[in-house]
Amino acid sequence: MNRTTTWLTAGLILAVLICASVLIGAASLFSGDVDSGLLIAVSRVPRTLAALLAGAGLALAGVVVQMAVQNRLVEPGLVGTPEAAMLGLLAVTLIAPGAALIVKMSVAAAAALAGTLGFLLLARHVPRRDPVLLPLVGLIYGGILGAAALWLGWITDLMQYLGTWMSGEFSGVLAGRYELLWIVAVLAPMLYIAADRITLLGLGEDAARSLGLNYRQTLLAGLLLVSVITAAVVVTVGAIPFVGLVVPNIVSRWRGDNLRRNLPLTAWLGACAVLGCDIIGRVVRWPYEIPAGTIFAVLGAGLFLWLLNAAPRRAANA
Amino acid sequence: MKALAPLAALLMLPGLASAQAVEVDTAAGPVEAPQSPETVVALDIAAIDTLSALGVTIAGVPEFTPPTYLAEVFEAAQPVGTLFEPDFEALASMGPDLIVAGGRSQTQVEPLSQIAPTLDMTIGTDVVDAGKTRLAAYGALFGAEEKAAALEADLDSAIARAQAAAEGKGAALILLVNGGKISAYGDDSRFGWLHTTLNIPEAYPDIVAEGHGEAVSFEFVAETDPDWIFVIDRGAAIGQEGEAAAAVLDTPLVADTKAGKAGQIVYLDPAPLYLAGGGINSMLGSIGEVTKALEGAGASN
Repeated sequence: MNRTTTWLTAGLILAVLICASVLIGAASLFSGDVDSGLLIAVSRVPRTLAALLAGAGLALAGVVVQMAVQNRLVEPGLVGTPEAAMLGLLAVTLIAPGAALIVKMSVAAAAALAGTLGFLLLARHVPRRDPVLLPLVGLIYGGILGAAALWLGWITDLMQYLGTWMSGEFSGVLAGRYELLWIVAVLAPMLYIAADRITLLGLGEDAARSLGLNYRQTLLAGLLLVSVITAAVVVTVGAIPFVGLVVPNIVSRWRGDNLRRNLPLTAWLGACAVLGCDIIGRVVRWPYEIPAGTIFAVLGAGLFLWLLNAAPRRAANA
Repeated sequence: MKALAPLAALLMLPGLASAQAVEVDTAAGPVEAPQSPETVVALDIAAIDTLSALGVTIAGVPEFTPPTYLAEVFEAAQPVGTLFEPDFEALASMGPDLIVAGGRSQTQVEPLSQIAPTLDMTIGTDVVDAGKTRLAAYGALFGAEEKAAALEADLDSAIARAQAAAEGKGAALILLVNGGKISAYGDDSRFGWLHTTLNIPEAYPDIVAEGHGEAVSFEFVAETDPDWIFVIDRGAAIGQEGEAAAAVLDTPLVADTKAGKAGQIVYLDPAPLYLAGGGINSMLGSIGEVTKALEGAGASN
């Protein structure tokens, strides 16, 4: 498959998914009960964009984390970002239940950033010799933050409320309630610019330093980018696990590890996968919703197991 | 029957010979309990609601943020652990004559029976009937039959008034707002008695019973186009009821429904419904809120 065909195919698949997403939903576009222009503008288009942005963002974040810690079995959630975001959301709910959604989102994003910065401070004291140590520290750190969120939710009887941020889904997406996700579109070009440096991260600290890379700075910048994207997704639609894990692994099996060349493809695959799962979630129990995150977890887990067992095919030049 | 072993032992003690045993209708079938027990521990919010309405003094309550209308009852009592994990040491030193459990504390009935006779007074999804049954049972148990009958009459007249008010006012959709997301509840759910008891038709009749309702989108609300929306704000079970839910429902998709246009989106106090469902005062309160909204509206076209 040459480049042009690849991109044409990718564009076609994306177009088909977008059309399906605009046409499918709980309300009928054609019965005339609900104003179809309003429906498309307020509900369908925002929901489609939210799924695309969230999917692309999580997949890109996954790539960066995997490169940064040289570990293929890691995902953005490892820096405690989702848990910190949940803590922020709980706090704002307790302090100002009537706050506008955008205020809640901003507070949660700020909390997520603070939580990630806490991890970055912690990370500076983790010896770099063992690459598994950092994700493990991150997992423990995230676990502690998660436990704090759970405890707070438990004593304030907000467990169910907390649950809405743990299971990523798009049923609540409307115009004016997902715009935080455009951060993904802003950050993706930055990632593209920094792609080569992040590729060097994947070689490990010694090799990267000998090639003249400011290792620590690049690592911190990359993880900061990851945390902002993850926070935006958790706050707007909830945590969607596995996307950051499965998508980059599929792309790297298929196309090797040239990050700059793979980034657009990774973003595309993440976007299509999450949108596809959201469409399935709308259809399976129509007119009720099944979380896109649940659908992705089921399909993604199967795919990933198959991937692990399939022989790796590394194309040197696609 | 193991539950009755400590009770039987108690009844053989000479000092307690005065305690008459009565048969109480519980969620686990008829159980024998001591007549008019002195020291009572209640580990279920609906039970605390109804018992306090009957004038029973409750010695022990769960550590729990109570609905505002029960705050005084909770303040006057001693906390004895949580709904899920009773503090058995505190209970043992208190030495209650009767423990009323149920709902979230239902799993603890068996171990609690080791301390004192324990009744499982769980309210199922058949909220109103179960609530009445429990009310009558408590009345008989504490010799407050007259008070129980009066409260039941109050409830019946409140229901009759709500039914009259609901006549010809159209169909309703019950929505639970949780975070930025919404779930719909049908007539066979925990809030379904608002439809079945008060004779308010369902705007979307097929909603299947689910513990936490059915996750729906705002499109669903627009398509269903209910005359009334009853909103239960899960997030604001802690003060400022309705404000957060109002922000979530503030969208043209909801505003353009019949309920939105007629100003018939009713924010119900979530705590009585959500935490104390089946308690006599909780039911009277919720029915009162619904009735007030229905009576304030003209007949829908």
